[in-house]
Amino acid sequence: MSHRHWAHIVAVPVLAVVSAPAVATDYLTVEQAQHVLIPQAQGFAAFPVTLNPAQLQQIRRLSGVPQRTNQPRIWRATRGSATLGWVIIDEVIGKHEFITYATGISPDGHVLGVEILSYRESKGGQVRDPRWRDRFRGKTLADPFRLNQDIPNISGATLSSRNITDGVKRLLAIHNVALLHG
Amino acid sequence: MITRCRPSLGTFVEISLPDGNEQAAEQAFAAIAHVHRRMSFHESGSDLARLRDATPGKQVKVDRETVAVLRMAIELHHATSGLFDVTIGRTLVRSGFLPRGETIRLDHFPGTTRDIEIVDTHHVRCHRPMLIDLGGIAKGHAVDRAVEVMRSCGVAEALVNAGGDLRAYGDRDWPVGLRDADGEVRYVVPARDCAIASSSNLDNRRRVRGRDESVHIGYGRKSVLADHRVTVVATTCIVADALTKVALADRVLAEQVAQQFDARLLETSSTGASN
Repeated sequence: MSHRHWAHIVAVPVLAVVSAPAVATDYLTVEQAQHVLIPQAQGFAAFPVTLNPAQLQQIRRLSGVPQRTNQPRIWRATRGSATLGWVIIDEVIGKHEFITYATGISPDGHVLGVEILSYRESKGGQVRDPRWRDRFRGKTLADPFRLNQDIPNISGATLSSRNITDGVKRLLAIHNVALLHG
Repeated sequence: MITRCRPSLGTFVEISLPDGNEQAAEQAFAAIAHVHRRMSFHESGSDLARLRDATPGKQVKVDRETVAVLRMAIELHHATSGLFDVTIGRTLVRSGFLPRGETIRLDHFPGTTRDIEIVDTHHVRCHRPMLIDLGGIAKGHAVDRAVEVMRSCGVAEALVNAGGDLRAYGDRDWPVGLRDADGEVRYVVPARDCAIASSSNLDNRRRVRGRDESVHIGYGRKSVLADHRVTVVATTCIVADALTKVALADRVLAEQVAQQFDARLLETSSTGASN
């Protein structure tokens, strides 16, 4: 193993810490997420659904989580006249974060994939001081971040994705009560 | 530069890489999903579930990568005179951080890392029943695998961040903010060809029989309450993550062990809320 002391790695204090709102990252647009989740689809047709109170109750019973809106954002993925699956865009609110994500669901109710569209944190530091930003841009960053250029990657205690897991369960329940036999 | 984010390994995994490498990102996410399936404490079909259910002394076939992670766990167990121990599943189930599942009697799982024997690249033997939780080191390994996959795809530079454990490579510095225990980011590090992991638990505790407990287990299987953050820089993410856990329990030991493992603790500790 090469012997490296990491002496070149020095932590630089952030000179100004501004609290909330903090980290905000956009990863994918709705259209991009649709194609990533169901790449073989030729089209994605908006599929308006209004859940009635009985369906909302059933979703809660199936998933153990309340469905807050009665009009979930659903698209049908099509190839010719065939339905290849569904894409549902949903939001979850965690302890400190607000997350928009897309889930692809097969016609028979299996998860095809989950993509995070955007992640917003409501707590935590925001690095805004132009001095350190310039330091990175001018001296060391060959290719500045386009999407999250104000906030770099963060190393810290592990964030839990439990609320997404619960959210996906809820979306499968929506599929079961509103899309499966539709 | 594109950045993708998916939930995996119980956290959010972010991959940043140059435009036009979507396929490589896809393969890297697949490598991470593989680690999740094989090394999850929760998933019934995982290698950890098979080791939990196996008859003591009987060899169990597991994934090559599970063997590699256990090998590293054993090495760290020795290097830290037993402080680093992946058989803390019992303690974490007892404190409620891990689900009890079918496990009825926790005292039926007394084994420690010392009781794990690597037979060959695909077989492991546990000499006493044990509940293994690879937790952070599985996450670190997944990050390392994702980096390997992207390198083999010819991706010139990339960063993988699994919920706070990250690794970057390529001919550039990647700015990495260090989140303190209280949630604030007070320091930034330019990361280049290295892994960085941080741990703290101010925000993740449970009240168990009148006492606060955390997911971090130290000497005597007692939980470590850390109001500060520790950050480790290393060549690989598996080592970086493991050493943060050692450092939370015993910083002096962690500094010694870090030298053996080509790693370094970053001196930027901030206590956050309490001071």
